[in-house]
Amino acid sequence: MSGLNCVVHSPLAHFKLDLELSVEPGITILLGPNGAGKSSFLRLLSGLTQPSSGLIKLGERTLFDSANGIDLPPEQRRIGMVFQDLALFPHLNVNGNIGFGMKVRGSGRVERQKRTAHLLDILNIAHLAERSVTSLSGGERQKVALARSLTTDPELLLLDEPTAALDPTARGEIRDWLRSVLVKLNIPTLLVTHEVEEVAYFRKRVAVIERGQIVQHGSFHQLLSEPTTEFIAQVVGVNYIPGEVTEVAGKQVFRSKGGLTFIAPFEQVKPGPACLTIYPWDVAVYRNLPEGSPRNHLHGRVKDVVLRGDRVRMTLVAEDKLVAELSVRGYQALGEPQPGARLWAVFKARESRIENFQE
Amino acid sequence: MKKPRLFNLFLAVNGLLLGLLIMLPILALLLASSPVEIMKLLVDPEVLTATWITLLSSFCALPLMFLLGLPSAYGLARCRGRLRRSLEVLLELPMVMPPVVAGLALLLAFGRRGLFGELFSNLGIRVTFTLGAVVLGIVFIVTPFFVRRCTVLFDGVDKKLEEAALILGATPWQAFLYVVLPVVKRGLFAELIMAVAQSVGLFGAIVMFAGNLPGRTQTLSLAIYSSFESDPQQAFALGTLLLLISLLLLAAVHMLAPRDRRL
Repeated sequence: MSGLNCVVHSPLAHFKLDLELSVEPGITILLGPNGAGKSSFLRLLSGLTQPSSGLIKLGERTLFDSANGIDLPPEQRRIGMVFQDLALFPHLNVNGNIGFGMKVRGSGRVERQKRTAHLLDILNIAHLAERSVTSLSGGERQKVALARSLTTDPELLLLDEPTAALDPTARGEIRDWLRSVLVKLNIPTLLVTHEVEEVAYFRKRVAVIERGQIVQHGSFHQLLSEPTTEFIAQVVGVNYIPGEVTEVAGKQVFRSKGGLTFIAPFEQVKPGPACLTIYPWDVAVYRNLPEGSPRNHLHGRVKDVVLRGDRVRMTLVAEDKLVAELSVRGYQALGEPQPGARLWAVFKARESRIENFQE
Repeated sequence: MKKPRLFNLFLAVNGLLLGLLIMLPILALLLASSPVEIMKLLVDPEVLTATWITLLSSFCALPLMFLLGLPSAYGLARCRGRLRRSLEVLLELPMVMPPVVAGLALLLAFGRRGLFGELFSNLGIRVTFTLGAVVLGIVFIVTPFFVRRCTVLFDGVDKKLEEAALILGATPWQAFLYVVLPVVKRGLFAELIMAVAQSVGLFGAIVMFAGNLPGRTQTLSLAIYSSFESDPQQAFALGTLLLLISLLLLAAVHMLAPRDRRL
């Protein structure tokens, strides 16, 4: 049996952490609002702090067992962790940072250089080897931090908000990179985030944590179809349209369960059950369908209008449901449509994402 | 042009006065002796011995200060709350103690008739009126300052760096040696030189505890005091010499100290 199995209880400042969680090989996302206890949980797992009671097992090894007085120090747990602020060693260059874990475990210089070079190669960052870590961009620093955590052959990988500190452009790039690397590695990985977007991107097993407790744990699709708390309901704000990919005259199209036809980037999709997702801010809304628009569209009735800060969220219902998010100015330009109004929701094929169901 | 505000003017005048207060005596000292006189001192065997004792005792005290002070500073930096405040007060005690009183206290602890005097004399060790006493006096007075400033250095090290090292498999010893120390390296060197600069000028505690014995415990500061009674002109030259040594050390501190980018 590989992977992490844990039950921990620990008092925090404002509430108690009571968690039971298992993490199998592959990515599990731990989603929760700020201050839900996510980082505290990672610290307990890595051994930086101790739970008041509980049991933490990684594969066959017991890392912590309050009943039997077992508490392995962090350096013996074989857990890789990437801190939110990365904590790269400022006095070492990229090679030095990555080689650190091997050096303190006593491997020789030659072996260290070989493994570091190999790892840099796998992660596609060989060109950074001699750079000072203070001169790297945010995305590059993220890559180096992950590389560093991999050198000790961790049996569990903990990533604390890996894209939170990045600017939007780098964020997309790092996400793609992370996904490809993590799929290749297949180590049990717990990716912590407070961002719904991240969950929508990775679409893996998700555990949702609120006030120190796991409130929902299951596949991304379960989370979308049966949200159990208001926080999770926000996740549903990402438009999620179940349906099927079929071939019509040699070309792939997506037919929603409601019966609408959409096109999307189909590169990695096979005919069969699938779902299409589109972010609300990528959905445009019009009174009249723009001329010659080759884009996906839905003609629906406004079900509700919610003002959120300087953004307006509008739900349009027809054969399917689409949530659009627009600026207040955009909403006013539309003439401030009220529930019941009929409008066109339009989105570009390349901004949507399509994926076969994987339960 | 914008009219200067009264308050800013007040600050400027104030600063100017303080600057004068610092610079005038230094200028007076430099004017009181000539380079020729200072050069003459450098071939005087008595002065050379005093200089040698000054530097020797300071540099002997340095490793003791380092070994005793550095782990203490690191430990203190990791303490929080009431414990930390109590330990800091303990550290401030020797700092506020008048140096002469510190000398007396040292004498009463380690002197021949002091608390541990009998123990030491049974072991055949005599502390008072030896170079060892000079070193002990320096360690007693300067280490608390050194610890205090190093604590600030360690406080500035991101705790996450150490935690990252632990998770990567380092023992706490390794994390300290390979991560924390290299990160504060420059600042630490600066603090060590600062400690030497401070040691070089000690007077009160040394004169009480180690005595003023030319050739054995007489440092430059003590030599200035002695010669001031017989030959003031030589005292001025000696003072200038000591000042130059201190200035050199101060320059070294500023070359090494990590600059605060916010300023």
